[in-house]
Amino acid sequence: MVVSSTEARADLPDAATTKALGAALAGVLRAGDLVILTGDLGAGKTTLTQGLGAALGVRGQVASPTFIVAREHEPLPREDGTRGPGLVHVDAYRLGSLGELDALDLDSSLEESVTVVEWGRGLAEALTEDRLEIDLERPHGGEVDMDDPSAGVRHVTLRGVGERWATVDLAGLVAGLVPSAEN
Amino acid sequence: MGGMASGDPLVLGIETSCDETGVALVRGNELLVDATASSMDEHARYGGIIPEVASRAHLEAMIPTIGKALGQADVDLSEVDAIAVTAGPGLVGPLTIGTSAAKALAVGLNKPLYGVNHVIGHAAVDQLVDGEFPERVMALVVSGGHSSLLLVDDVATKVTELGSTLDDAAGEAFDKVGRLLGLPYPGGPHIDRLAREGDPEAIRFPRGLTAAKDQEKHAYDFSFSGLKTAVARWVESCRDSGREVPVGDVAASFAAAVVDVLTAKTIAACRRHEVETLVVGGGFSANSQLRELAAKRCAEAGIDLRIPPIRYCTDNGAMIAALGSAVVRAGVAPSSLDFGVDSQMPLTTVSL
Repeated sequence: MVVSSTEARADLPDAATTKALGAALAGVLRAGDLVILTGDLGAGKTTLTQGLGAALGVRGQVASPTFIVAREHEPLPREDGTRGPGLVHVDAYRLGSLGELDALDLDSSLEESVTVVEWGRGLAEALTEDRLEIDLERPHGGEVDMDDPSAGVRHVTLRGVGERWATVDLAGLVAGLVPSAEN
Repeated sequence: MGGMASGDPLVLGIETSCDETGVALVRGNELLVDATASSMDEHARYGGIIPEVASRAHLEAMIPTIGKALGQADVDLSEVDAIAVTAGPGLVGPLTIGTSAAKALAVGLNKPLYGVNHVIGHAAVDQLVDGEFPERVMALVVSGGHSSLLLVDDVATKVTELGSTLDDAAGEAFDKVGRLLGLPYPGGPHIDRLAREGDPEAIRFPRGLTAAKDQEKHAYDFSFSGLKTAVARWVESCRDSGREVPVGDVAASFAAAVVDVLTAKTIAACRRHEVETLVVGGGFSANSQLRELAAKRCAEAGIDLRIPPIRYCTDNGAMIAALGSAVVRAGVAPSSLDFGVDSQMPLTTVSL
């Protein structure tokens, strides 16, 4: 069986645009979706997830999940009283296998949440055939601006794998990104 | 030593938010016993906490640790007046093991149960060492999972969260920089050791959220992510040019940036809120540069600094028994037996 994939690329000039990409993704992500985030320390994985969490409207501060491996954020009620999907934010850096996310002892079911797995490449693919892979690349080495150490363009590649993503316009999604005002 | 000295209730505290199973007995502000079992060695093999491994370890350690605490204090379970347990924040599985044990004890003994906040426990434990808090204290709680600044009007009833980390916790930033430098997990103690051999002023790493533009919205919040990125790129460019990485200087300069921000913001908050006592707690308060700089800056600012010895700063049952004791003595209503654990428990909630 051939698994289809669609791809889009963009440059993210600053952290606000990285958050804006996260916010734009909130518009297409649904409960049960899996996102695999790849990139070095400081590439913007947590920043992107913060933008996503803010736009989804979930409870709690979206921060690095590294220490506790997984953070769960319940959906907050919207103005009309309905709730969207929650957010499960995983750092798989130290996990040897993600064959079973059960090992994370998660409270919420993945079917009810958007699951974002940082450092999940090579592990999380086993979870589902349909997934959105996002690679973030930050400048390597060079001169660091100590007043603004996170500055520098991130190259992002989005790859939708499987039926779920066959009809999603990823290129359109990244085309009109405007830096998020939220900080 | 059954702790018959005072008329205060005898509180059994249970802590299981992460990888330490802690059980302690406190009467008033007197610690009778503090027993801990750790699954740290198991986690070190993975380079970090694995929730399921922690849950299983808690399950295995719970009853032996309770038995050890009671035996060492020569206390019979029937003498316990109240049970306190960590309800959050923390890992869901481990928290569930602890609260289940606490609920079983409360039902079996017919004694009140208090589900309390782990982070506030890191501040409350200081009462066992330095005595009852004065009317208002500032608490800086820093660990692998938390970096929070709390205004404590009453540790049992009124805590305000002034700020927290927006990304990495202080201890977590240390672990990640340890990873960059190729040090074993957890990186914190290794960096602390290497930092002593390096020059903290060798590299001027950035101080997150200290710019004028951040003062309005994030005066008391922390951010260590930009610092981490700066260290990563600095080390990369060093390696790219074929130079040997001056590990001691990187460690010392990085640690200096972290503790500079932590202490500067905390002292500013003390001044702004006219608080004269600062309590520092959490596992990261073991860091030697933090202890030195906090002592220096508090002395300059005329602030009374309270940092308990390191064994009280790591996760333990004493912190939960201490907070439980404060909550019971304040006359707060016990928690309902059907409370659930809360992995994201707000820092304004002392007890459920």
